[in-house]
Formats: sequence, structure tokens, C-alpha cells
Amino acid sequence: MKILRMAWRNLWRNGRRTLVTVAAMTLALWSMVLYTSLMEGMLGSMETTLLDVELGEIQVHADGYRERPSIWERIEDPDALLRALDETGLRSTARLLGGALVASGDVSTGALLKGLRPERDALVSEVHQRLDRGEWLDPADAKGVVLGYRLARTLAVEVGDELVALSQATDGSMANDLFRVRGVLQSLSEETDRATVFLLEDEFRNFFALEDGAHRVIVRSSEGQDLAAAAGLVEQAAATSAPGVEVRSWRDLLPGLANVFDSAQAAVQVVAFVVYVVIAILILNAMLTAVFERIREFGVLKAIGVSPRRVLALILVEGALQSALAIGIGLVASLPALWFVTTRGIDVGGLGGTAIMGVAMDQIWTGAVSPLTIAGPVFILLFVAGVAVLFPAIKAARINPIEAIHHQ
Amino acid sequence: MGAEPIISLRDVTKVYRQGSVDVHALRGLTMDVEAGEFTAICGPSGSGKTTMLNLIGALDAMTSGSIVLEGRELASLNKKELSELRRDRIGFVFQAYNLMPVLTAYENAEMVLWVQGVDGPSRRERVMGLLEQVGLKGMENRRPSELSGGQQQRVAIARAIASNPVVVLADEPTANVDSETAETLLELMEELNREQGVTFVFSTHDPQVMERARRVVRLVDGRVASDERR
Repeated sequence: MKILRMAWRNLWRNGRRTLVTVAAMTLALWSMVLYTSLMEGMLGSMETTLLDVELGEIQVHADGYRERPSIWERIEDPDALLRALDETGLRSTARLLGGALVASGDVSTGALLKGLRPERDALVSEVHQRLDRGEWLDPADAKGVVLGYRLARTLAVEVGDELVALSQATDGSMANDLFRVRGVLQSLSEETDRATVFLLEDEFRNFFALEDGAHRVIVRSSEGQDLAAAAGLVEQAAATSAPGVEVRSWRDLLPGLANVFDSAQAAVQVVAFVVYVVIAILILNAMLTAVFERIREFGVLKAIGVSPRRVLALILVEGALQSALAIGIGLVASLPALWFVTTRGIDVGGLGGTAIMGVAMDQIWTGAVSPLTIAGPVFILLFVAGVAVLFPAIKAARINPIEAIHHQ
Repeated sequence: MGAEPIISLRDVTKVYRQGSVDVHALRGLTMDVEAGEFTAICGPSGSGKTTMLNLIGALDAMTSGSIVLEGRELASLNKKELSELRRDRIGFVFQAYNLMPVLTAYENAEMVLWVQGVDGPSRRERVMGLLEQVGLKGMENRRPSELSGGQQQRVAIARAIASNPVVVLADEPTANVDSETAETLLELMEELNREQGVTFVFSTHDPQVMERARRVVRLVDGRVASDERR
């Protein structure tokens, strides 16, 4: 108790220095809590975009399709596979994929046509909810298509405009048709934004003269379900209903992005550590100065029999009190900032669609809050402050009383 | 007054290294201090007064010789034992008072008892009595900056005797106060010596202090030049 009292009073002997140190620690903590929240929010949003809108957790393709995508390489009986997957409780949908040249007016560009059944697809993908303008596919509007954000810009088309598509059908004939732009998607990913045209499955089959089969089956696992276990279920279902396919989790499909997610938390901690190292130098300087100013006092304490351990504790408690103050103030100050970034978010629309590893960020960058949002920055601050204060504390504890008492 | 020596120095030398030069602070010093003595160590600057007090106080290590305090050879004790010896058996009064500026008079006087692990009520009883004894009743809650030099030195004396040490070592205790305050401090120390049997060994330049000492040991060049008992 006396150590605590002494430590507290010692802090206010030079109140300005203590306030500067605590303010720097507070600012570092505040900014790291905010940074952690924004990073968690960004990663969460990217993961949602990636899994809920684009990939799903697991995809099934015909053997060899991924290496050489071709309209002829397809899963022969996708409906049998979908039924088998329904029995396992996993949600799934089939998509048809084919390249075409799309044009509007004088502008043309290559595109990937994706044919789907809206009702079934909505069970698996949230892409229908990510419209920037217009409406999603509707079986009542057979020629309506939905374009990626940048593709619409490249072709300079708006909702209601006509779109011509040209390709080679599977029967060798020239495929061509006139569609109408029904909707334009938000920025989602490099591939979707730049070159994707969604259309109804029947229209896709008509266009490419493709009677059966599908190129991709997207599967969603249940909330909290182990990815490998879900992939195992899909493989079992495929073994009987669709032989000759390969089953891949999204981690196999995009290992680079999987690494980004895995290492993102470590990256947050590295940034936090760098910020805190600067703070550590400030703490070290402040505490060394405080110890240097009080050398005589430490000498007297040692002379009258106060143990080195108690002197060490005194300095450590001074550091701990400053850290506690910074944590208290920093967390209270974080609350309104966290409220803002989690409810309002930051509008990054002005950046013109930012993508990381091909996955687009939402236009409104919102933060997320988890126990780690608070605990991570606090834990690292305590660790760094503890290390910074240890050297001055040891120096004070090891002081020679004679030299210290006569120190000028 | 007791007749048994509580402190015994035998042929004590202390050599400091200053750059490439050896400085002989003590050269074979031999003397005893008996319980209840009121001893002044005097001598010119550099004669070894402070060095001698530091060695007796287990703050510094001698180069050769022997110092025995209450039957314990200081050279045989490790750092922890020396720290405990200082805490339990020796009181210190410094020239510059050296109180903790963030603690009150009461808390400064209480410090050694707290370090010893004495319980709160016992500490309070002992310290309040001591502060009254040294004439600081009512000033318990004042910090050193709110006390005069003489009052600070009284707190230092209270701190030094709080644990009932076998000896109080005082390094020029009146050097920083005026003669009137020095007189009252000496009266206090004499009173504690006379009425409670506290053994005092103090270094001084001050003739006023030497006059009141019952034993005056004069050091010259690190040796006892004279030892006068009155």
C-alpha cells in the first residue's frame, strides 16, 4: 500500500512529464483500438464478399476445368449432385460459365457469362443483394442481364440499355443475342467488376446451345462448420452423384488470400508493436529521467534497509499506474470512436473502389468489435510499457547507496 | 552506560581508486564504541570521518581489517544480510536530511518500521510517540517541503531511532542548520542518549557539537590521532 501511495505521489512530482507520457500512451492505445477495429471490419467485410457473394466455401468443377476452363468441360449431371448435397444439409447452386464478346454501341470487350437459377442461387450467394443500380435477374425478364461495375462503365451502358453478346456455341455455330441491361452490381471483386455478365440459366443454354451440365457448383457450409469436414461431405456426395469432379475449398482456390486472412491479425500486432515501440522510448526516457532525478532518494532507501526488490517494485508500480491511467482514458475515449466506425463507418467511395488481392472493399468501410479489438492493443501496451520501465527499475534497484547519497 | 563494545574496528583500512591513484581514506584505524556512548568523530576534511561512518553503517566495504557489530563480522555478511542489518540495527541521520519528499513527516518516520513488517497499529503508536518526543506533534501530515531544516532533521532522527537501533550514525547532522537549531538538535540527541540509552556516533566539524560530546575521537589522515572521554 505504501509503495502504491509513494508511486502515485512520485508521478505528480513532475505532473507535466507524467501527463505527456500518459497522453502519448493514451493516444497510441486509442489509435490502435480504432485501427484494430477497422482492420477486423475490413477483413470481415472482405470475407463476406469473398464467401457470401463470390466463392462460397467449397466449389466443385469437372476434372481439368480449373486448369483449362472450357465450355465443354462440365459436370455432367449437376442436378444429381445438387440433390445429393441437399441431403447432406449443405446449400448449393450450379452455375454455367462461358466467354463471350459483349458490345454496346461502338464499344466491345471480352466478358464471362454466368448463367444461374435465381431462386436456387439466392440460397447460396448474396450477389443479388449487391446491386449498385437496377434490379437482379428475374425469370419473367428472360433477356435481362446484370453487369459488373467496371464492365458497365467500360461499355458505357446504363440500366435499360441494349447489350449484344457474341461467341461460339457448343454446336459450332455462331452464338449471338441481344440482351437488355437490367442491373449493375456494386464493386465486388476484380473478376466480377471487370468482366462478368449474369444471366438466366435458360438464356445461357440457349445462347451457347448447351443442353445439359454445369461448370461450377458452389457449396456453402453451415455456420461454424469445419471447412475440411464440409469438403469431406461434398466429396462423399460427389462420389456417387457426379464422378469425375474435383472438390476444392476456397482456401485451395485462393491460397494467397487465405494467407492474407491468416496473417492479418499478426500484421495488426506488428503495426501495434511498431507504434508502441515509439511509446516505449518515450516511457523509457521519462522513467530514466525520473530515476536519475531521484538517485539520492533511492540511495537513502537502500541505506535504511529498503530491499532492491521493493525499490524495483516502486518503479514498476509507477509504470503500471501510468499504463492504467492510459488504458482507462484510452478505452473511454475509444467508445465514441468505435461507435462511429461500427455504425456510420468511413466512406471510401472516393477511392474509386479499392481491392485487396482482387476482393473489393465496401464503399462504406465499417469497423468491427470483438474481445481482441480491446484486449490486443491493451495487452501489447502493457507488455511494451513493462519492458520499457524494467531497465530504469533495475537501475534504481541496483544503485550503490553511498554513490547515490553523494550524487550531485 | 554499558561497558561492552557494540562496535569494534580493528586495523581497518579503506583505499579508494581515483583514476590511477590510490587514495588511502583509512589507514589501520582501531577503536571501539560502547553501548550508550555519545561520540563525536572530528577531524579535518579528508581525514576519513565519513568513510568510517559508512563502513560501520555497512554502506561500504573496507579494504582490510575487521569491523564487528554486536558480535557479527561485517565482512562475512552478504548483501541481503547487510541490508537487513542496516534496517534492523543501525539508524542513519544524513547531513542533508534526505527525507522522502513525497511522504509526510509521519510516513517518513514510519518508513523503517514498514520495511521491517511491523503492523499498522504498532507503527502508529511508536511513530506518534516519537514525533511528540522530537517536538513535531501536530506536524505529522506535513511534507518535508513544509518543514524547516531543523524540523526535517528531527524527522530524520525520529526515522533513525524508530526501530530501536543499536547505534545511530549521523554524518554532520548540524552542518545544514543555524547554530540555534543545531543547539536544539544536540539537546534532542543528548536527551535520547541519556533517557533512552540510544548510542550516537556522529561526525562533525562544529566546535559547539564537539563540546557537548562525551567522547571525542579525532582522526588525522585516516588514523585515530586522539580519543578523549569526558
